[in-house]
Amino acid sequence: MTDVLMAILVAGFTSGALYALATVGLSLVWGSMGMLNMAHAAMLTLGGYVAFTVITSLGLPVAIGFAGAIVAGALAGAILYFAIVRNLLQNDKSTFEANVMIATVGIGIALENAILLTYGGQPLKQPVSIAGALRLGPLTLPWQNLLIIAVVVVMMVVVSAALGRTRMGRAIRATAQNRDAAQLMGVAVNRVYLQVLMLSGALAGICGVMVSSMTQLSPPLGNDPMLKAFIMCVVAGLGNLPGAIAAALGLALLESFVQYALGARWGFPSLLFVVIAVLIWRPSGLFGHAEIRRM
Amino acid sequence: MTGAAAKPPVLQLDGIVCGYDGLDVLKGISLTVHAGEFITVVGPNGHGKSTLLKTISGLVPLRGGQISIDGRRLSGKPHETAMLGVAHVPQGDMLFAQMSVLENLLMGGYLAPDKAEITRRLDEVYALLPKLADRRNQIASSLSGGERRMVGIGRGLMMGGRILLIDEPSLGLAPLIIDQVYDVISQLSKAGRTILLVEENPARVEDLADRLHLLDDGAIVWSGKPAELMARDELLATYLGG
Ligand SMILES: Nc1ncnc2c1ncn2[C@@H]1O[C@H](COP(=O)(O)OP(=O)(O)OP(=O)(O)O)[C@@H](O)[C@H]1O
Ligand SMILES: [Mg+2]
Repeated sequence: MTDVLMAILVAGFTSGALYALATVGLSLVWGSMGMLNMAHAAMLTLGGYVAFTVITSLGLPVAIGFAGAIVAGALAGAILYFAIVRNLLQNDKSTFEANVMIATVGIGIALENAILLTYGGQPLKQPVSIAGALRLGPLTLPWQNLLIIAVVVVMMVVVSAALGRTRMGRAIRATAQNRDAAQLMGVAVNRVYLQVLMLSGALAGICGVMVSSMTQLSPPLGNDPMLKAFIMCVVAGLGNLPGAIAAALGLALLESFVQYALGARWGFPSLLFVVIAVLIWRPSGLFGHAEIRRM
Repeated sequence: MTGAAAKPPVLQLDGIVCGYDGLDVLKGISLTVHAGEFITVVGPNGHGKSTLLKTISGLVPLRGGQISIDGRRLSGKPHETAMLGVAHVPQGDMLFAQMSVLENLLMGGYLAPDKAEITRRLDEVYALLPKLADRRNQIASSLSGGERRMVGIGRGLMMGGRILLIDEPSLGLAPLIIDQVYDVISQLSKAGRTILLVEENPARVEDLADRLHLLDDGAIVWSGKPAELMARDELLATYLGG
């Protein structure tokens, strides 16, 4: 019984960590700029494929593969900013949220298909995996899962330190809380938006590498984590980072338990059930504030 | 202010026009502010006082006319205006609600050149507004209205700007607190700060302002010393409802 419980917990924490990473990227962009980035999934996928190319085709070490995914994600974020966001922001602010959502759906589809054209549709194996497991008495903890959890914890610490303790991070939070006031203080909000999109892209890139290391690389790789991340965001309250992490862990554990107890196909419906319940009883999310509009 | 007229004005507005959607709110306003002056714009609700300050700081785009600081025309981008030394203390305070008092103040020092300068300004603000030092770790959203106003003013001071734009500092406060807020503003003025303040009630600035402009329906209809306005019952009755 402890074996089963342990397996559920390990699986739950691992997917929780991955969801948290995807969620934080999505939530950061929403919270600071009121932008629902529908291309987030494709950015995740991009990270996975870039790491694959760096490690398999170029024969470089795994660490360089990770770095490549981070750089590719950040670059994708920058391109998104210069090609789309900057221009849409010049229009009427009230139409930004809807326009940017539609535009990023298009970018996401284009990117996913560009990956399909380049690599083909057949699943590929992500060469970032460690065999074996850590044995602690009766417990068996696969190294692969431990690696993922460790990487995510490190990323979360880095992101929260960057947001909490640096001048750039304070400017990002200030922009999220009151864009006009931030501008009055001398914050160039366009630069903040660029930084946020690059940070979010970098997180998506690394997330893509790790998601694909648990499954396989395929062009729609990012869609499932992005969908889950969106659910986590709604449950936590859009734009709330600590809440997003808590929701990601909680819901992933719930998903694992339900998958074990009722069968794999009930995992996703159980998440949807939670979303519906939250939307009925706490429309602004479990940890959300009443007002979530920021633009 | 003696001698001030010889130097170029710190802030100059030339026939500025601006508004929202299809409507012009300000219909050609000109005024000048010299270094060290205390200028007040008084006008009834909804006649464009806040819009005037927002246009100077760049939150509302200019439709006509021009604004210059030290003779340099503004770009209209708020962060660039802040870099030129304009510190806007907006109506409703616009604090960063989920940040502590200290973090709000630090945001005011966002453009400060180095840590030493931030510390120096922080000491200055705490000396002027000692209550903020006691509350430095409190979250802004949990402050009282009077404390919020003080944080708003403190944050503006942290910007180290050469010109302070202050929007209705008495709004929504109890009379005792209003006196405290104006006491702080008076100290700032005496210390040589350049201030452009908008107010609904001319009596509050009677002893403070060097000059007063009466704003009505987006245009300046009268300018002079505050005491002169207070003596003109017919003006008060026409524009400010007695
Ligand atoms: N964001 C906005 N969009 C559209 N109209 C606006 C906006 N802000 C202000 N207005 C309108 O512009 C006019 C001037 O508003 P403003 O806030 O400048 O007045 P005010 O003199 O500061 O008033 P109060 O004393 O109530 O603060 C008002 O008619 C107001 O309804
Ligand atoms: Mg106003």
